[in-house]
Amino acid sequence: MNKIELLAPAGDMEKLKIAFLYGADAVYCAGKRFGLRANANNFTLEELKKAVLFAHERNKKLYVTVNIIFHEKELEGLDSYLKQLDEINVDAIIASDIVVIKKVKKLGLNLEVHVSTQASILNSESALFYKELGVSRLVLAREANLKDIKEIKEKTNLELECFIHGAMCTSFSGRCVMSNYCTLRDANRGGCAQICRWTFQAGHNKEIFSMTPKDLNLIEYIKDLINIGVNSFKVEGRMRGIYYIATVIYVYRKIIEEIDKETLTEGKINYYLDILNRCANRDSTSQFLNGLPTEKEQYFLGRQELSNQDFLGLVLDYDEEKHIVTLEHRNYFKKGDVVEFFGPNLDPYTYKIEEIYDENDKLIEVSNHPKALIKLKVDIRLEKYDMMRIKMFDKKDYL
Amino acid sequence: MMERQFLIVVTNEEILKLKVKKINFLFPVKDFSVGFLNTYKMENIDRMDSYLYMNRILDCEGIKKLEEELKKINKNIKGICFTDLGVIQIVKKLGLSLELIYMQSHNTTNASSINYYLDYVDSLLISTDITKKEMISILNQAKKPLVVPFFSLAEALYSRRTLLKNYQKHFNLLENQEELLIEKGTKKEFLAVENEFGTVLYAKKFIDYRDIEHENILYSFLNPMHLSLKELEKILNKEEISIDKDTGFLYQETYYQLKEEDHE
Repeated sequence: MNKIELLAPAGDMEKLKIAFLYGADAVYCAGKRFGLRANANNFTLEELKKAVLFAHERNKKLYVTVNIIFHEKELEGLDSYLKQLDEINVDAIIASDIVVIKKVKKLGLNLEVHVSTQASILNSESALFYKELGVSRLVLAREANLKDIKEIKEKTNLELECFIHGAMCTSFSGRCVMSNYCTLRDANRGGCAQICRWTFQAGHNKEIFSMTPKDLNLIEYIKDLINIGVNSFKVEGRMRGIYYIATVIYVYRKIIEEIDKETLTEGKINYYLDILNRCANRDSTSQFLNGLPTEKEQYFLGRQELSNQDFLGLVLDYDEEKHIVTLEHRNYFKKGDVVEFFGPNLDPYTYKIEEIYDENDKLIEVSNHPKALIKLKVDIRLEKYDMMRIKMFDKKDYL
Repeated sequence: MMERQFLIVVTNEEILKLKVKKINFLFPVKDFSVGFLNTYKMENIDRMDSYLYMNRILDCEGIKKLEEELKKINKNIKGICFTDLGVIQIVKKLGLSLELIYMQSHNTTNASSINYYLDYVDSLLISTDITKKEMISILNQAKKPLVVPFFSLAEALYSRRTLLKNYQKHFNLLENQEELLIEKGTKKEFLAVENEFGTVLYAKKFIDYRDIEHENILYSFLNPMHLSLKELEKILNKEEISIDKDTGFLYQETYYQLKEEDHE
């Protein structure tokens, strides 16, 4: 099997570390300017520098989005920003505006350029247009189906990156300015107010509706996508939390490994699918991969988002002599609960909570204070950044 | 100042009766356009100096079909106004001498990008998402004459999804390929037009950009959907008309860093 890249989102340094530790080969993020998540925390140049070092020390990669559509005034500072990204050895930038692609060449930078999904590439001829501009990778439109992807690969031999998981736009990405019309927030410069998820009335019909797509989830198609030559599997979600990133990256890493070892079974796919569905806050489907989405791949009545409270604690430390783990509390749990630890080097481990101690070693019955330090006695060795969650599924039930 | 030339989308047959001088007609082509209920088969477009309007983002099947169709293109066709950059490759591959006008509604928002695109095309449509000041600055710097919006329905969303069909199916409503959508909070209105290749939502109010004047304008662009011939004549003559219109973003700038109240 060719080297397959698992590409994770990161809205800040903690998420970046979690993504790499849980199995991402590369992470994409944005600096303080020129990214399409203008209101995420994002990274200062100093943080980007640290992020590159963190990635390269682990033989992994860091990509930076420079993917807004530029107005005249944003062009100021673009040249120096690109030079800075080049100097700190960012592995690639993700761009959609032709001015960014051309500037990288004109300035003689070593930066690789990946064309963003905002460019709506759905056919081999538009892919060839970008190839002639000298880009090294295409992030295809999320509307591409298996046939399109296969043909684009065959006719361009470019590296292809496909979204495999996360939220979808109602429109072709980059082809919506509803936010501009309704709120004056420019969608193509990072201010999207997600108007497609608001409610509409159609003509004289009484039924109000939204146009919210369900999320994308291609877990069942990873093998097909590998076979047709997709090089990088991208997870959406720079605004998501660490539990979501850890869970999704962990699952796809396992899936890719199992495909490589030829041990992936339908039962295992169902197990991982249940885990993914549990940590998502919307239902998910394969969207365009096998045809046009119907009314079943969409929500009509406002946001149908569930709050997930499965994430119970983040491991901060483990005392190997005393077998005591120190956790940072995330959601309510109590004595007697059956939970599960999982981590980058830890297959899900079932654990019944017998005793809970607070940070002063006082015995307590429940843990219910956000970010409180909690101690538990756990016999297996845990590592920093392992996580504790509600136990919902048991892998052996699927085998 | 040169006399203004118009590029008008033929949204219905009536438009072809326009008697105003300096008009170039732009025909939405069947299978290659979205946002129009009235489209034309390429072989039936026989008017001299016509432009083809192909604003669909094409998948692999679509681009192959386009290549086949363009092999049979009539001599009366002056050029293609298109959205998918693959069209440039196909026209080059077939060695056709057609005028190419790039029309992507949202990514032609600065002069540098526009000048780079102009290395590959003869002209392009400036985005409606920018201010008059930005538009004039672009016109001052562009290395070739550009197409500017004049009086038009402006595209606010283009989806590959059949949003109307899905909505009508979900609520068991009669199929209708055109609907007025009202966003409940802001009361903003959008006209949704759908075909098998997707849905386009236009801002319901026509954008009135008639006061953009500049010597670097190739064409003034109009998508006159639902306008009568009489109304259209008045518009072309810059007369006042009483229809729902505004100046879009010409005099109001968009922003993207949230203000305090947006965080609430």
